[in-house]
Amino acid sequence: MQAATQDPSPQYSSKDLASAEHAQSFWKIVWEQFITHKAALIGLFIITLFILIALLAPVIAMVTGQNPEVQNPMNRYAKPMTEATLSADQRENAVTRFQELNPEPSAQIRKEIAEKQLFTFVREEDALYDLANAEPDVQKEVFAKLESPGHLELKQTFDQFSRFHLFGTDELGRDVFIRLVYGTRVSIGVGILVALASAVIGLLIGAMAGYYGGWVDTLLMRVTDALLSLPTLPVLIVVSAVSVDKVPGLRSIITQSNENIMKLVFILVLFSWMTVARLVRAEVLSLKEREFVLAAKTLGARDRTILFKHLFPNVIAPLLVSVSLGIGESIQFEAALSFLGLGIQQPTASWGNMLFNAQDLITEAPFLAILPGILILIITICFNYLGDGLQDAINPKSIRR
Amino acid sequence: MTNFIIRRLIQTVIVIALLSYFCFYLMTLMPGDPVDLMIQSNPRITSEDVARLRNLYGLDQPTYVRYWNWMSGILQGDLGYSRTYRIPVSDIMGPKLVNTFVLSFASLALALIIAIPLGVWSALRAGTKTDYVIGFFAFSGVSMPSFWLGLILIIAFAVWIPWFPAGGTETIGVDHGSWWSIVTDRAYYLVLPTVTLAYISIGRFLRFTRSAMLEAMRNDYIRTARAKGLSRVVVIWQHGFRNALLSLITMVTLSFSGVFSGATITETVFAYQGVGKLVYDSIIANDFNVAMISFMISVSMVLIFNLIADIMYSFADPRISLS
Amino acid sequence: MKLLKVLVLGLFVTASVNAPAAVSNDELKIGITQEFENLNPLIMTMSATTYIYSMVGRSLVTLSPDGKWITQLAKEIPTIENKKASFSPDKKHIVATWEILDNAKWSDGKPVVCADFDFALTVAASPNVSVGEKETYTQVKKISWDEKTPKSCTFTYEKAKWDFNQLAQFRPLPKHLEQAVWDKYKNQKEGYEKNSIYNKAPSTPGLYNGPYKISEVKLGSHVTLVPNEHFYGPAPKIKKIIVKLIPNTGTLEANLRSGTIDMVSSLGFSFDQAVAFEKKIKSESLGYNAQFKPSITYEHIDLNLENPILKDVKVRKALVYAINRDELIKALFDGKQQVAIHNVSPIDPWYTNDPKKITLYPYSKREAGRLLDEAGWKLNNADGLRYKDGKKLSLQFMTTAGNKTRETVQTFLQGQWKSVGVEVNIKNEPARVFFADTTKKREYGGMAMYAWVSSPENSPRSVLHSSNIPSEKNGWSGQNNMAYVNKKVDEIIEKIDTEFDSKKRTALAQEILKYYTDEVPVIPLYYRSDVAVTPTALKGFRLPGHQFAETNEIENWSLQK
Repeated sequence: MQAATQDPSPQYSSKDLASAEHAQSFWKIVWEQFITHKAALIGLFIITLFILIALLAPVIAMVTGQNPEVQNPMNRYAKPMTEATLSADQRENAVTRFQELNPEPSAQIRKEIAEKQLFTFVREEDALYDLANAEPDVQKEVFAKLESPGHLELKQTFDQFSRFHLFGTDELGRDVFIRLVYGTRVSIGVGILVALASAVIGLLIGAMAGYYGGWVDTLLMRVTDALLSLPTLPVLIVVSAVSVDKVPGLRSIITQSNENIMKLVFILVLFSWMTVARLVRAEVLSLKEREFVLAAKTLGARDRTILFKHLFPNVIAPLLVSVSLGIGESIQFEAALSFLGLGIQQPTASWGNMLFNAQDLITEAPFLAILPGILILIITICFNYLGDGLQDAINPKSIRR
Repeated sequence: MTNFIIRRLIQTVIVIALLSYFCFYLMTLMPGDPVDLMIQSNPRITSEDVARLRNLYGLDQPTYVRYWNWMSGILQGDLGYSRTYRIPVSDIMGPKLVNTFVLSFASLALALIIAIPLGVWSALRAGTKTDYVIGFFAFSGVSMPSFWLGLILIIAFAVWIPWFPAGGTETIGVDHGSWWSIVTDRAYYLVLPTVTLAYISIGRFLRFTRSAMLEAMRNDYIRTARAKGLSRVVVIWQHGFRNALLSLITMVTLSFSGVFSGATITETVFAYQGVGKLVYDSIIANDFNVAMISFMISVSMVLIFNLIADIMYSFADPRISLS
Repeated sequence: MKLLKVLVLGLFVTASVNAPAAVSNDELKIGITQEFENLNPLIMTMSATTYIYSMVGRSLVTLSPDGKWITQLAKEIPTIENKKASFSPDKKHIVATWEILDNAKWSDGKPVVCADFDFALTVAASPNVSVGEKETYTQVKKISWDEKTPKSCTFTYEKAKWDFNQLAQFRPLPKHLEQAVWDKYKNQKEGYEKNSIYNKAPSTPGLYNGPYKISEVKLGSHVTLVPNEHFYGPAPKIKKIIVKLIPNTGTLEANLRSGTIDMVSSLGFSFDQAVAFEKKIKSESLGYNAQFKPSITYEHIDLNLENPILKDVKVRKALVYAINRDELIKALFDGKQQVAIHNVSPIDPWYTNDPKKITLYPYSKREAGRLLDEAGWKLNNADGLRYKDGKKLSLQFMTTAGNKTRETVQTFLQGQWKSVGVEVNIKNEPARVFFADTTKKREYGGMAMYAWVSSPENSPRSVLHSSNIPSEKNGWSGQNNMAYVNKKVDEIIEKIDTEFDSKKRTALAQEILKYYTDEVPVIPLYYRSDVAVTPTALKGFRLPGHQFAETNEIENWSLQK
């Protein structure tokens, strides 16, 4: 450290270095403080686990051979730990589809079966259908002997016919376990997106209000108050009626398949940036009277420079806390909206809509409602603990509002 | 000070007025009107019927005219007429408003009764096992989806162990001999929704009490008081808690603002005859007058309690300037 | 810990104990899930209100659960054959004589007379009263009677239509009570309905003429009813009836099992719940009956004929061929609802499933694929979807958000279409938005799923006549949300109204069905079944399966061991 002050390198001013050191040591302190908060650490661990599950969802699907959208209507509400088979009609459809999509490989496979007489069938052109309806043991035998190109793909199709359901099946016979895994993706994804977006918006608006003061502050804060005072639900119904792709700028990120997720994110952001804005404003108000800001001002730094270089880095810490708490809130909000039928739409799975779909039959299939509820509970607790830990770490004397 | 309050009061009134127009405008933006809903329920309505009804309801007039008609009615004390129930708004909202307030205040009271002592306790035991257990209890409440908790409570305490009714507000069709039996009957129906709402809000109050108390106990005068040899109880409650109380009161004042709209989902789950459910229905059914009055009450309560909280905060902490 | 043990123990001990279902005639608590409004028979529009009103008020005739027109306040139904009705000399009108039962009285003992019907007509015709469908009343031009026989009324009808005597929704108003209100407020917009006694004091004696009368109304909560001693028919057996609103279907069963309600009306359980509950009744031998009755309610998907993809009739046919409706019914509804082949239900006399008369679409994925290939939509191996000129075969599928049965069916169908290479994107909206704008203004991209509730032999005019395509011009009224235009169908619809021969009428209706099934403006899904759960002790309960509520027979209900 001493060397740095004695021999400042030419490209950095001493002030920059000092702030860099300050920042480094600050985050180090925060981290050291944070790891003393055991619950927060456990929370962070569980969150990381969930995020991993979310990211690895396709891998999990591949390994377990499950697909969140494959239905099996003849086996609805199956109990946990049961095995379910697709109906004959569904198996035939799968075969038809395979043959339509892979005409040549399937012809070869049929030929191979016919030549080697792998099992007894009626006619060569329908061999695959007969195979689909054969006993599982026969199927296994046939696949063990098949060599034609494309037989692996066919086996994949056949693997879908009978599946083991760890947590049972839902109202369309879909596997609950894999839907929960994919639901993690949507629920946590929505939570993080909403919290980040509202942090950015809140940061900008709060900083502007706090820094400029005067009528800008009054205007922005009254708008914030007004939005905060609006009853959320009614306005949500209105917004759900508006087509979001008409909003400029959003069109580029919205496709038909993610429309309802993006819409939900948009709606939730609309109602969650205000608290961040208030927090940032209060921080900025107290910061702007501090020496280093005053100094920068006297030195003639531009507003933008002061805002971005001096104020923002200092509000990041409290912002992190509010982002962490915000994620938990958004996940809950998604569930609440789903409860009113305004959340994520089928067939996309989210914990919220799984819970909503299960509530009618909570006495018949309690598992269906209890599982997503517990997951929401766990992840929200973890984010709350994480926020709590960060809070304590950043400012051990802090007062929570 | 007076100056500040008057200025904020005027600002608040202006915001309420502007928001009322905004809400009214929002309502008109929503697709469909009461006549559309009638068409849906009766396929045989003709285009003459539609034109006649629109004219009768004044739906064929521009928004600002309708807003003005509505506003002048309000200013004369006429809250309008509910299109869904076809009775005056005050008749339908009055009793439901009372029900909602009873539920909200009961749960608020229950939450505070549990949260404050626990908060103080865990502050005094900060860092110990007790603190962790209480903290977990608080966080689990905050993190629970309210309708999920409601459903679970119904299954557990209305179906499995039939201690409480699964839903409703009071026993219907029973002649209550005395006011006491009315109160006990209502209380019986209030238990599950109150517990649901309270458990969800305990966390916030508890954590707040805990940190306010921690802060207060860190002050110099506590050390002085201790050094003087005052008893532990006196130190904690007279010196520590009294100082934490000020910010706690502000917090509670702020939470009053949610009393009106905070229970919508809980009310739906328990079929509780409150105003939250009514608000939701009125919007779904495009019941303009009911929805607008609900908006107004909801918005005004938030803004007014915010104002009160601000004022109280400034009294409590003279360091905050009111300029 | 000890407390916890006690709790857990208690849980197991009491887990199987349920509040017993009601077995005495003292009281019956009925659960409904839909809102109701004030009970003025002219003003009410909600089905829950009609449900309750049918306990307290009757009209001249109604449709029985067997699907027959029967009398209520009338002595007999006037027809051309029985000479109680005749054409006017110019053949433009019909004049019918309705005789009201001698013992038909209002609940204050005053007789129900022609003047009460005439009064209802006067009120309904006023521009200041918000009667929804005015024609229910104004189809009658004039009601006249001799002062000496106040119960023998001559109705002169505006038009000569075959269904002139189906006046089930023409309900009388007690003139002796409401006249004063009417005189005071008739010139004020909505003045009458705001000040009607039904609204201000609904338990006033004399407002009702049915088996029960209202003793207490709390809108949004419950209605309490007690027998009306002046009822013209047999005295009702149950001494008190409470209709309770439980808005959340999720807690409906809990309410039933905890004894908060004794039965769930047809406006209650979702189909899924009823099926599941029926299984539970058997496995736990609970004291309830789950009742299912095929109804006229027609669940279908409107196809937006303005959509360039759906303009091609081959695509529309392929969409129908591609879905396995039998499996849908078997898997999702336990086989308890019926597959629909067109918009007329099997309990309607107009029904036919004769392949000579209509086109049938048996499930066939291959046929669907063939038709799509023919229409130029070729399968792409990369994603398994169909393309034509680089455009994906993708359709938007909408329905009411929050309706679980529909959402399940929707997802099921989405899977079925995907397997023939049609991408279907689901977008659901709250009912108020969906019905207000989306369906009417044809803002649904391709498909919109919902249901029609009607009565048998209902003219398809509002749904299929091209003048009923909602547009700016007609104030978005009409229900032809597909924008279906067929001149021939229009002509037949006009003819049906004035065809008095029932056989010829049926032939005309089936001619429409031919076009309907040939051109596929709509994908028929299934006819819903009505469901109700009643205590086993309840006798005399029948589900009607049409829009006239089961409470039209409430005087026959009784609770006995």
